[in-house]
Amino acid sequence: MDLLLKGGVLHDPENGWEGPAEVLIRGNKIEAVSLSLGPVDVPFWDLQGKIILPGLVDMHVHLREPGNEGKETIATGCAAAVAGGVTSIACMPNTDPPADNKEIICYIKERAKRADLAKVYPIGAITRGIKGKEIAPMWEMAQEGAKGFSDDGNPVSDSGVMLRAMQYALNLGLPVISHCEDLSLAAGGVVHAGNHGYRLGLPVISPASEAVMVARDLLLQKEIKGKLHLAHLSARESVELLRWAKGAGISVSAEATPHHLLLTEEAVGNFKTEAKMNPPLRTSADREALQRALKEGFIGVIATDHAPHRLQEKEDDFLSAPFGVIGLETAFPLLWTKMVEEGLLTVSELVDRFSSAPARLLDIPAGSLKPGAPADIVVVDPQAEQVVSGERFFSRSRNTPFEGWRLKGYPVMTMVDGDIKMWQGKVKGFSEDFPEIKSILQTRR
Amino acid sequence: MFPKSLFNLNQLTTAAIEEILSRAAYYKKKRKKESFSSLKGKNIVLTFWEPSTRTRVSFEMAIRKLGGNVINYSPEISSEKKGENLKDTVNTLAALGADAVIFRHSSPGFFNLLSQLIDIPFISGGEGCYQHPTQALLDIFTLRDRGVELSQLKVIIVGDILHSRVARSLFYAFPPFSAELTLVAPPVLLPEELVPRGVSRAYHLDEVLPEGDVVYLLRVQRERQGKNLLPSLAEYSALYGINEKRLPLLKKGVLLMHPGPVNVGTEISRGVLDYFEKNCPGSVLFQEQVRNGVFVRMAVLDLFLGGG
Repeated sequence: MDLLLKGGVLHDPENGWEGPAEVLIRGNKIEAVSLSLGPVDVPFWDLQGKIILPGLVDMHVHLREPGNEGKETIATGCAAAVAGGVTSIACMPNTDPPADNKEIICYIKERAKRADLAKVYPIGAITRGIKGKEIAPMWEMAQEGAKGFSDDGNPVSDSGVMLRAMQYALNLGLPVISHCEDLSLAAGGVVHAGNHGYRLGLPVISPASEAVMVARDLLLQKEIKGKLHLAHLSARESVELLRWAKGAGISVSAEATPHHLLLTEEAVGNFKTEAKMNPPLRTSADREALQRALKEGFIGVIATDHAPHRLQEKEDDFLSAPFGVIGLETAFPLLWTKMVEEGLLTVSELVDRFSSAPARLLDIPAGSLKPGAPADIVVVDPQAEQVVSGERFFSRSRNTPFEGWRLKGYPVMTMVDGDIKMWQGKVKGFSEDFPEIKSILQTRR
Repeated sequence: MFPKSLFNLNQLTTAAIEEILSRAAYYKKKRKKESFSSLKGKNIVLTFWEPSTRTRVSFEMAIRKLGGNVINYSPEISSEKKGENLKDTVNTLAALGADAVIFRHSSPGFFNLLSQLIDIPFISGGEGCYQHPTQALLDIFTLRDRGVELSQLKVIIVGDILHSRVARSLFYAFPPFSAELTLVAPPVLLPEELVPRGVSRAYHLDEVLPEGDVVYLLRVQRERQGKNLLPSLAEYSALYGINEKRLPLLKKGVLLMHPGPVNVGTEISRGVLDYFEKNCPGSVLFQEQVRNGVFVRMAVLDLFLGGG
């Protein structure tokens, strides 16, 4: 559509813009960005007091389709995405069957196209069946649009297999995304090896189970020099290793999730399964190390690790309940309220970590509102306050550890390719009262 | 003063613990044949999902003495599929018309979750590696009952601390009475993060043993050790068992405790038990702990379920 956004403040670090701006959208692209565009003959929307950002990019999402549509579908996951201001997502291959071949990659792209909400970039499996043994047909998957490779949910335990996979991916120029976990150390654990977990008498997962694999992957990367990305880091030891890697000239990227950035093992309370995830929530020292690393850029990406599970599955004893929490609809207001408003991160840093940086990593057209870029935009109302309530989620699941949190900075409009997908909390095709957009926009006097 | 359910000791105030101890003392003083009526007309479900003889029988006797009805519900653990347990159990307990549930389960938090779905009191009879509150209460009671002054008392807990629900309850039972706790175990069974503030830790038993007024032995729980944590029980016994060689290290008048069942030859040798039986039979409290269990559980049931 053609639309002029005026009166808002734009944060687009990639394009070096931080301040009031008018943004002109023509069709599906950004046509112009300027302090004042003068008279333009298109409908406009006055964004007094609101901020304009490039659409968020979440490079770590579990959409569960095919195979686990009871937890989430590509459509409901994409609805959750645009509700949370996320316009591009990369989805992990641990579906059933797993995305370890071009047919599943095609299927996911096809379903996403039909959902017509957020843009979906599939991540292909590193190994066949995510079994960690034989390398999956990466080139074929890349041909069909896979944007990276991961066995997420499982590590590639065999170092030789990981080495060959990283070497193979080198040829394709795509990142290998590592789920760092030494299974022999994590064996059977469900909580962090800290005061709280030990006091509950639950089997524990030590920080070393992550850091040992981070170290391994960094050493492999030192030899291979490909594109290595470390998923959902949780331990301060991992951050120390990233610091070492930088000194040693090893190129690597890494991500942290909102829950690891904001919660500690205490969130588990009395066996609350909504705080059960892998890697587990750790100590305040770990949380602060992650926050600092995010600020300094050692961890350059925020990703949600959105992992939907049905209520009945989470409503089980702590040992039996599945790992994972959802995050698409809460990530931005959480980070806005608990990091930006607390002075731990600037708006531009947040936009970089949660939009521009992952877009660069995946090499996808997103992360900036430069003229000519796709009109993937999110408008945020910094004052919009709301209490997190799973009942209102567009996701098919509700497993959030943030239920009841009062947050600010909710997205009020999400646009993908010039088309408004979310308006004031309503999602196109999902909310019956989704408005006729023409009727809500002003036209020039 | 008393919460609705009893899952752990950290939720009890010192005053509440005192109340339980004095109520238990009251029941112990009563004549053996006397019966009571505070649970009259109440249906108490006993559901033990892990093997137990002492605790279950002890609770059952306590319920009967208080005039309550015992309903045993023992699920076929092996045949049930995971994930269906919870719903089945909720339905069964509701259908049984239970006024309260006394449980044992291997997975910590399972009954905590149930308590959110069924609005009746739950009393723990031991929960995985989490806590075993009535055991710790009866241990404190046993010492008090012997006239032992708990303040400044040096208590050494030896054994598989990592997997012990008894230890995790004792962490909250001794400190309110200013007893000094020292935990002793091989490092693999005693991670630093498990040790509560104000509690000491030692790896070498011989160094701390002479200090102990009370030596509390824990069983090595082979069934909870999926991984090979110890090379052999013989090696454990040589390092941490109370055997003849360590007899001279024990403080004069030391009290030995054990939550049972005792592995004679591992935690404590036959020779040591024989020695104490001959020379100071009052030092080994194992049987007394079991006997007192009934009174303490009567007190707990009375105070939690009987309306005081």
